[in-house]
Amino acid sequence: MEQIIANGLYLGAQYALIALGLTLIFSLMNVLNFAHGQMYVLGGFVCYTVVAQLGMPFIVGLVASALVLAVLGGLIERFLFRPVIRRSKRDESTMLLAAGIAFFLDAVILLLFGEKQRGVPKVVNGVFNWDFRIIMPYDRILIGMLAIGLIVAFILFMQYSKAGRAMRALAQDRVAAQLMGVDVDRYSMIGFAMGAMLAGLVGALLVTITGVNLGMGGPTSIKAFLMIMIGGAGVISGAIAGGFILGMMESVGLSVLSSYGDVTYLVIFATLMIFLAIRPQGLMGKPWG
Amino acid sequence: MLRRSFLKSTALAAVATLALIPAAHAENAKLKIGFVGVTSGPAAAWGISNQRSMEARAAWLNELGGVQIGDTTYDVQIVAFDDQKDPKRAIAGMEKMAQDGVHYVVGPNVDDGAAAVRPVAEQKGIIYFPYAFPKTLYVAPASNAILGMVANYQSGPAIYKYLMENKGVKKVAFVAANESDPLSQRDSGIEAAKALGLEVVSDKVTYQVDTTDFTPVLLPVLQAQPDLLVLSGVSPANAPQLIRSARELGYEGLISTETAQDASVLAEGAGDLAEGFISVGGASTEELASDAMREFVERYTKMFGEYNDESNTKVYALEYIIETLKANPAAISDVEEFKKTIDTFEAPNPFMVGDAKLRYVGESSFGQKRQLSVPLVVNEYRGGKFETLFVAEVD
Amino acid sequence: MQNQPHAAPLAAGKGLTMPKMLGVAAFLAFVFAAVPMFIAATGRWDFYYTLTSVALLSIGAAGVWLTFYIGRINIGQGAYALAGGYVSAVLITQAGVSFWLTLPLAGLFCALISVLIGLPILRLRGVYFAMVTLVLTEVARLTALALPVTNGAKGITSIPLPGGVSVFGITLIPDFATLQNPRQAFYFAAIGLMILVYVILWRIVNSRLGHLCRSLQQNEELSASIGVNTAWLRIMAYAISSFFGGVAGAMFVSISQSIYPSSFVVQDSVNFMLYCFLGGLGYVFGPMLGTLLLYFGWDLLSVAGKYQLLIYSGAMITLMLVLPNGVLSLFDRKGGGK
Repeated sequence: MEQIIANGLYLGAQYALIALGLTLIFSLMNVLNFAHGQMYVLGGFVCYTVVAQLGMPFIVGLVASALVLAVLGGLIERFLFRPVIRRSKRDESTMLLAAGIAFFLDAVILLLFGEKQRGVPKVVNGVFNWDFRIIMPYDRILIGMLAIGLIVAFILFMQYSKAGRAMRALAQDRVAAQLMGVDVDRYSMIGFAMGAMLAGLVGALLVTITGVNLGMGGPTSIKAFLMIMIGGAGVISGAIAGGFILGMMESVGLSVLSSYGDVTYLVIFATLMIFLAIRPQGLMGKPWG
Repeated sequence: MLRRSFLKSTALAAVATLALIPAAHAENAKLKIGFVGVTSGPAAAWGISNQRSMEARAAWLNELGGVQIGDTTYDVQIVAFDDQKDPKRAIAGMEKMAQDGVHYVVGPNVDDGAAAVRPVAEQKGIIYFPYAFPKTLYVAPASNAILGMVANYQSGPAIYKYLMENKGVKKVAFVAANESDPLSQRDSGIEAAKALGLEVVSDKVTYQVDTTDFTPVLLPVLQAQPDLLVLSGVSPANAPQLIRSARELGYEGLISTETAQDASVLAEGAGDLAEGFISVGGASTEELASDAMREFVERYTKMFGEYNDESNTKVYALEYIIETLKANPAAISDVEEFKKTIDTFEAPNPFMVGDAKLRYVGESSFGQKRQLSVPLVVNEYRGGKFETLFVAEVD
Repeated sequence: MQNQPHAAPLAAGKGLTMPKMLGVAAFLAFVFAAVPMFIAATGRWDFYYTLTSVALLSIGAAGVWLTFYIGRINIGQGAYALAGGYVSAVLITQAGVSFWLTLPLAGLFCALISVLIGLPILRLRGVYFAMVTLVLTEVARLTALALPVTNGAKGITSIPLPGGVSVFGITLIPDFATLQNPRQAFYFAAIGLMILVYVILWRIVNSRLGHLCRSLQQNEELSASIGVNTAWLRIMAYAISSFFGGVAGAMFVSISQSIYPSSFVVQDSVNFMLYCFLGGLGYVFGPMLGTLLLYFGWDLLSVAGKYQLLIYSGAMITLMLVLPNGVLSLFDRKGGGK
């Protein structure tokens, strides 16, 4: 039992961090970023290149991933999403753009980094073993802690910094924020860059444990969608809750339902659908996101 | 701006390569061999190692002056089509092959694609070499598909038997991704294990291919305390993570799979934890590789920057096609002739030391010869590379 | 922004005018005469399958478009295509039903389950509905893997080709297995089906139902308050949409003569949606054009080798930058679209 909870918490921490970036972008611009998973993969590959190929310390890889993705995110917002949002009649049109970017990043990743699974060596060795009740390798504990630390840092940033406050105002009411003198364009760009940066950071963190390959992008996006749906789209606390809930569901579901085999994920997904049908706005979302 | 110039330069590069390929060897006639498989998206690794093996071998043959079939010397040209792992696209790919006058196609890489292209292949007279295991593809009345590798229901029993006899394995557990190919492979693996008298202690646990943490997946499996953990149809991307999670959970038994893996991927993803991992490969281990195989690896690496050990099994299909055509030049445009040659064909295996032969097998599994005899080399991962555990043959 | 009204030239036209009749005639002549003649002349027989795929996928996309029309983003059409495919495959192989009969049955089955699923989930809006439908595709795949009737992971293979249909000794549809060129027959069948679907779609959009749907897209509360039965309308549109999906799936299965749980996956669902976006959400024939461009485009780009995906996605992004409202917005009269 302790093991199941520990697994759930570890999964939850990494999921929550992925969901945060996605929900930030969604709350600011009403864009469902289909390319979020690809950004995560790109972050992993950047970290891999810096750490495994160039032989730099892991922390440099982490920073490099964050920077590359932040710049990329900013550019994507400025030159792709902004003009399309301005000119399209329906908000949903950005979905095609996001999907196009996802394909494009997939293609670039394949050309630049190849088709193979990549990973970097463990950051710390050894396994924490509490009487065989909880077994958790130290590197997992470290990455889990780092993820939680980043989540806390993100919340503090959104709560107390000027940019954070401006973005929250923007998320609440775009027009009102604009009337109050918030530079909407600037903060949309910063927000998108931050969202992309978060995706890149998770990718870089996880490359030490799960590794990275170009196929992880699409499924990661979909998982992130699930999490923000559970918690409520565009709400930061919702994304965190969603991440931990999905992590827990997988951990518990896989243990409890293991004897039924093939239906485990069917049950998890069906439960999600029923939950959303009953509570359409997720746990803490605004209705009709 | 950056992106635009990048696009422009890649477009230019694409046009340039397209223009250059035909110009290089203008003197010989062309022998077109097709490839329909997945070279983009999540499963890209399967198809890419396939396509690159073919391209590397073709370039090598052409450099030697081409291949002589009958009285004509041909340059081998690989026509590739990316089906995105979508059976609907695979049909389109096969149609395109028929359109280009291609009669021999390597691929598709997965069960659904291989089943979907069957009507086209049979109607248009194409022999294809899928890397998919369903028996219906190879058992009569199906006649145009030839299995390109060793099926897991052939390698599985051999591996289990070896481990029973040599490592005292009694209890076995299976874990598979919840997709068609791995699940089918799991089911036939369970059947084989039971037939050998092994106790199957866990056979129900499945995972999504996009799982990022396998600890919860493996927890219930390992609680059943198997001596051998079989990763059915595991993709090279998932294998290191599964191995790592199992070892970190304190599992000390054996781990094996019946699919081909890549040593460097295992080294990066699982490091020392992958020691002793058993998988199936071609003839690339030090002990077995011939000079030709070494040169192939060298050329592949030079052409594409990095070798992929999965190509060890995938180098064979093209070789078989060309050698069989040499044996019966009439088959070049008539697959019925090819089918006639299948029964008696035999040629030396250039990639393996000793007197191994290229020949068609499958009588006992399919009732007709619809399989390439690829040496069943069972490897063990040791210190960053594969070592031969034992070699067997399929009949 | 979501509620901004917009004119839809092809959708808003009332009745058949002379130029429209001519356009339809030209289209029919093109697909039934010009295309086969072109293929016979150039020998590009592989175009038959590609165009058949385009026709069938655009049937599925037509359904997705209809759900867009009531203001719902549907990323779950793959689930119904898969279900329809399985219904047809199971009926043919286990009950020996004629393929042509399974075609409407597959559609009806999908419409039926879509009502059951739609009742709870159609209350959702925006991204929530989109995400639930996305999950639905994965649920369909996992269900197909788990059920015994679908033969699980092994799929259903060796499904016979469509048989003949004759009434009073007159052959209406020949037995496909006896045909010289079944690809051509599939082409005609798929194109015929596609035309039928788009005629139905066009009729719906220009009927009272269509106007009510449009009111739903613009402001659901308002239409409910003036007495429109919004729940019924939504279910109706979703059921028709799923019917199309099921038919498209069933037809595909008859061509590949096999079906697996992975025959229609999340990627297909997403693609159906992209086809609609690319063609233009405001135009009935948008999904048809979008399918043609995206599907055919990929095939044509296969000459680009490893740069295929790069060029494909680059073109998609560029197109979106230039024409964010879909390709058909090119034909909007100036100022009429805003």
